[in-house]
Amino acid sequence: MDDSDDQDFVSTEHDRLVSAITKLDKTQHINIPTRNESTNINSEFNLIKRSNKLDLNKAVKVLKDTAHHAKITKKLKGSQHKSKILPKPLEKPQAERIKRSAGYDETKEKITKWDAVVARNRTVDYVSFPLQSAIAVKEHPTKVILSNLRLKSNLEKELDEIDPPADNNEEEAEQSFPMTYEEMIEHRKQLAKLRAQQSYKAAKAKRQSKIKSKKYHRALERHTLRHKNTGKWAKNKLVRAKYDKEVRQQLAEQLSVSRGLTHKTQNQESSDDEAGDSETVSNVPLAQDPTNPWMMQNSNKSNIDEEFNFGYKKYLKEKMLRKPDGNHSDDEGQDESNFSALKESILKLGGRKLTSKIDKDNLDINNDTQIISSNSKKKFEKSKIVTATSQWIVDDVVQHNNKNTDISNVFDSLENEIVNKVEKKLNKLKADIVRLDRKPKQNNKKYTENQDHLESLTFKNKNQRPIIDEELIESNKKNITDIDLENKTLTSILQSGPEPTRPSDNIDPNTFIEVKPKYLNTALSQGENEFDDLEDDEQIVPKVDIEEVFEEDDVVASFRQEKQEEIDNDTPKEIDLNLPGWGQWGGKGVKAPKRKRNRFITKPAPKIPRRDENKGDIIINEMKMTQLANHKVSELPFPFTSVSDFEASIRLPIGNTFIPETAHKKLIRPNVITKAGSIIEPMDEEQLLVKRNQSFKNEDVIRLLAKK
Amino acid sequence: MCATATVRCGVIFQSRRINKPKYLRKENSNMAKTKRYFDDAENNDTDSKNANNTNEVKTYHVKMKPRVKFMDKPMAGNKIKHQSKKYAGKASINPEELAKHSRGEKLEGKGVTHPLHAIKLKKKENKYKFAQEQAARAEILLTENTGFLEVDEDHRTTCITQKVIGENVDITAATKIFDLNLEFGPYRAKYSRNGRHLLIGSKRGHLAAFDWVTKKLHCEINVMESIHDISWLHVETMIAAAQKEWLHIYDNTGTELHCVKKLDKILRMEFLPYHFLLATVNEYGFMSWLDISIGEIVGHYKNNLGRTPVMTQNPYNGTICIGNSQGLVSLWAPSVKKPLAKILCHKTPLTAIAVDSRGMYMATSGVDRSMKIWDIRNLDGPLQHYKLRSSPVDLEFSQKDMLAVGLGEVVEIYGNCCTQTVDKPYMRHKMAKSICNFKFCPYEDVLGIGTSGGFSSILVPGSGEANFDAYESNPFQTKQQRKESEIKALLEKIPAELITLNPFEVVEVDVPTLKDKLEAKSKLLHVRDKKIDVKPRHKNKGKTNIARKKIIKESMRKEYINQVIEVKKVLQPKETQDMPQQSFGVLDRFIPKTKK
Repeated sequence: MDDSDDQDFVSTEHDRLVSAITKLDKTQHINIPTRNESTNINSEFNLIKRSNKLDLNKAVKVLKDTAHHAKITKKLKGSQHKSKILPKPLEKPQAERIKRSAGYDETKEKITKWDAVVARNRTVDYVSFPLQSAIAVKEHPTKVILSNLRLKSNLEKELDEIDPPADNNEEEAEQSFPMTYEEMIEHRKQLAKLRAQQSYKAAKAKRQSKIKSKKYHRALERHTLRHKNTGKWAKNKLVRAKYDKEVRQQLAEQLSVSRGLTHKTQNQESSDDEAGDSETVSNVPLAQDPTNPWMMQNSNKSNIDEEFNFGYKKYLKEKMLRKPDGNHSDDEGQDESNFSALKESILKLGGRKLTSKIDKDNLDINNDTQIISSNSKKKFEKSKIVTATSQWIVDDVVQHNNKNTDISNVFDSLENEIVNKVEKKLNKLKADIVRLDRKPKQNNKKYTENQDHLESLTFKNKNQRPIIDEELIESNKKNITDIDLENKTLTSILQSGPEPTRPSDNIDPNTFIEVKPKYLNTALSQGENEFDDLEDDEQIVPKVDIEEVFEEDDVVASFRQEKQEEIDNDTPKEIDLNLPGWGQWGGKGVKAPKRKRNRFITKPAPKIPRRDENKGDIIINEMKMTQLANHKVSELPFPFTSVSDFEASIRLPIGNTFIPETAHKKLIRPNVITKAGSIIEPMDEEQLLVKRNQSFKNEDVIRLLAKK
Repeated sequence: MCATATVRCGVIFQSRRINKPKYLRKENSNMAKTKRYFDDAENNDTDSKNANNTNEVKTYHVKMKPRVKFMDKPMAGNKIKHQSKKYAGKASINPEELAKHSRGEKLEGKGVTHPLHAIKLKKKENKYKFAQEQAARAEILLTENTGFLEVDEDHRTTCITQKVIGENVDITAATKIFDLNLEFGPYRAKYSRNGRHLLIGSKRGHLAAFDWVTKKLHCEINVMESIHDISWLHVETMIAAAQKEWLHIYDNTGTELHCVKKLDKILRMEFLPYHFLLATVNEYGFMSWLDISIGEIVGHYKNNLGRTPVMTQNPYNGTICIGNSQGLVSLWAPSVKKPLAKILCHKTPLTAIAVDSRGMYMATSGVDRSMKIWDIRNLDGPLQHYKLRSSPVDLEFSQKDMLAVGLGEVVEIYGNCCTQTVDKPYMRHKMAKSICNFKFCPYEDVLGIGTSGGFSSILVPGSGEANFDAYESNPFQTKQQRKESEIKALLEKIPAELITLNPFEVVEVDVPTLKDKLEAKSKLLHVRDKKIDVKPRHKNKGKTNIARKKIIKESMRKEYINQVIEVKKVLQPKETQDMPQQSFGVLDRFIPKTKK
């Protein structure tokens, strides 16, 4: 008992110990239930992991191979065995249809591989038969053939016997490349194609990702419009701004704030660039070459930059970019002001200048000083920025220097430019002054006449018009300056310096201006040797215009009348089918009623402008030449749908007297050339391997020909 | 006198001799400068030799391989490759020359939607481009240069007489200055188309044909009738002479081949070589075109202009220019019985007309001693108006657009007088005989003058075309070549009805008829009408540029006025302002205040 009690005690104790130990790991282990009963509801307390499906095979195993159970086993196994019954065959037409379609696909594939070849043969200038196959392998190199043709001398034969020639192993060794040349090219092409496709797809994806909804854009725009003068507050202020200076200032501040905001974003966007400018140098380790292009920080412009670059932002940005240009134009304006100042200075100097010529250097110095002053002005101007929405110029609250270019360079170039311009203008002016030099006496007279100041009492003319009592220089010379040159003395030309070059026009106006007769000093026949000893340079204008002597008065008049008649005949007239007096009173002065006029009088066709219109005393008959029309093409041949295209296609004569022989031969070459005396075999599959056939890629043509 | 005359005569020999040195010099200098690949190769050879001289013997296995292209290692031939790259491909073409051979705008092919035809047309276009380039490249074969006169600064080309030229040119060229003293009154002279043969006919019946270079006489006859005009036909074996009554045709031996009685009392005639037409005008103003290849008259009508002794042809389009006694020049074609165009050139009777070989300019002269240059292609003008000291007897353009003007006994030759106004003549030649007519000899620097006392030939350097096209007209033609070219010319004969103002009209689509046809088709039921763009290739841009002219004139005037104003402003000292103004007491208030 004790033992048993002890044993029991030990066992219980042991059990407790085990359970205590098992509790140590704190996970709840679900014990597999030792018994289970079939229930519909799966209890959450006794989850069964294994499927409770009865495996018949196992059951059969239990039965074992006793003779008694053999039958049952067989039966069970038989019930387990699944065999499929073949489906009922398709009906014949259906089956055949499928067969046909499959066959079609197969044949199509077989044939489509020829498409490129056929398309190419159709489009090339000419096809020469027999066709050359792709792999024109020379069985023996020419060298070998040639060497075979040569007879070996006895000595050579003997030598060969003694020392047999080495085999050409070198070439074989050379050919141990992983790929042949063609393969390599093919490979490279494929790679290139792949790369191209990839990049294309990438670009497409990029593009698509950029497309955003309208709302997005609006929001974005709104965002960028922060602190603009479009808000309610700003609008209210705007009303008062006209009269109140303080408000104006407030608004300006607001605007500058907004600019600052937008500017900031811009800075962020382009921070890569600008920071790069300042920081790259520090980033580059000193040991490395700073000029190394790989070391230079490349500008990774983020896509955001582009994304945000639209709308108002874009406008502002453009404005900022344009600013230097604007300044430039300002400069030009200043140039002009400079010029006007110069003019004044000339004016002041004018009297002196006409009498004693000032040397140019003096003037130039003058210019230089002015230019410098103008440049200093310009510096200040640069800080001015015109904002878009406000009507006034806003001074920047914070001055920021965003001059990137080398200032001294800019100044130098500008100076040069201005100096050049001024010089040019001066030269021009000088030329003009010299030309007008002939006149000053008259002018002076006028001034003396105007000396009495009573003129100032007279009423002022409302429109002051320049009074030009300068004669227009008319001549058939090329330029007015030409004549001036003639009139000028040599010294004056020398002093005035180089002539200003006038911009050459595309159209030379002188060619259009009515020609003035040029008197030629031609030789005279012996009968009338009056002034034959004239120098060639002299021009004599005869006292009696010989034209008048021979002239018949009515020649011109009658010609013009003839032309007028011609024009009248040519103008289409209205056709009057009205019968006067029909259904109404007729007679003198009786007008046809409106209804009749509309109905019986057809309006003329619109007038076509004549060729000789505005051409003076020239009549050109534009009659239809029926005989010529027979030779002309009056219908467009097939592929053409426009007259100009067709005319362009026949613009070149192809005869060998018109164009070089080579071109002529090329143009008249037949489409199909067959080599005489050679058998022309049908095309074989080797043609598919020909590179030029493979490379034919005109999809349109291939599709078109495949359709047929 | 320090004058050098370069006269291009005897087309091949002379000018080649003169120009050779310059040409070759250029080549030589090139040779000296450029380093050739074989120079390099030689250097390499010497290097290797040097290497061999040293004790260390290096052995190289040099293999001649054609596949240099695929070599990885830099080879000795690298330099060669580089040099060949520099001159790789064909030589570039001078764009000016390319433009010269341009046939107009390219085919755009926008209207051609069919892909196969589109690609074919594109290929054709490439061939056209090739033809153009090839033609431009062929310019290099035109090696002959035109002649010229070179004088000191103090001298004028006008002063150079034939004697001086004759002394300075070579002997062959000097033989081209000659005079024929003949007795049978005023002579007319004409050269054959290749410039080799000369035909003279006199008022008193003397007719002679000869090879004027070799002075070999073909025939000489007196037709015992007055000869009004003469002409070569398509070959130098046939001569037409307009005699007192009828037109006679002789061969080169003087045998009369035909007497064309349909053409009577002819005053002037012109032969159109490409159309095989002999255009004539007679005493009564009847114009006729005789097709000499079939012997039929293709056009015959009255021009209603009266007696018209002035006639010339426009070689560009084959029209005939006729000048009448009222200063009117009219252009005629055989198929139209009205003039194609009329230009009132002078107010007085016309004395001469000349049209240049490209059909660009027409020179006319009247009794009023004036000479005008017209733009005959655009029918516009006058471009130039010259007043002379006597009225010209005859005018003639050379192949290089020099204009010869006959004034009584003097011939003056003007160079480039059409595009710009000239002051003095290029050359002047005085004779003791009065001029009847003159012609420039094609492909020679020669002017042949028919005078009252015979014929004289003078040299005019630079007047003739230096390079001839032997397919077109060959001065050195053999008998066989002549026969062949005759047949070819006959095959390429242009029908008479193609003579119009615009010779390229035949290659244009007849747009009005096309429109009519399209309209008729669109009226048919169940027929889908084609969409055709009927706009022709050449829109007549600038047909009337009168508006443009006016604008230009106006703008020029304004510009000038502005200049004057500006200058005046500068010149006018504003003294009046600076001066203290005179006081009028109470009346001062009426003085207008000047703004400052």
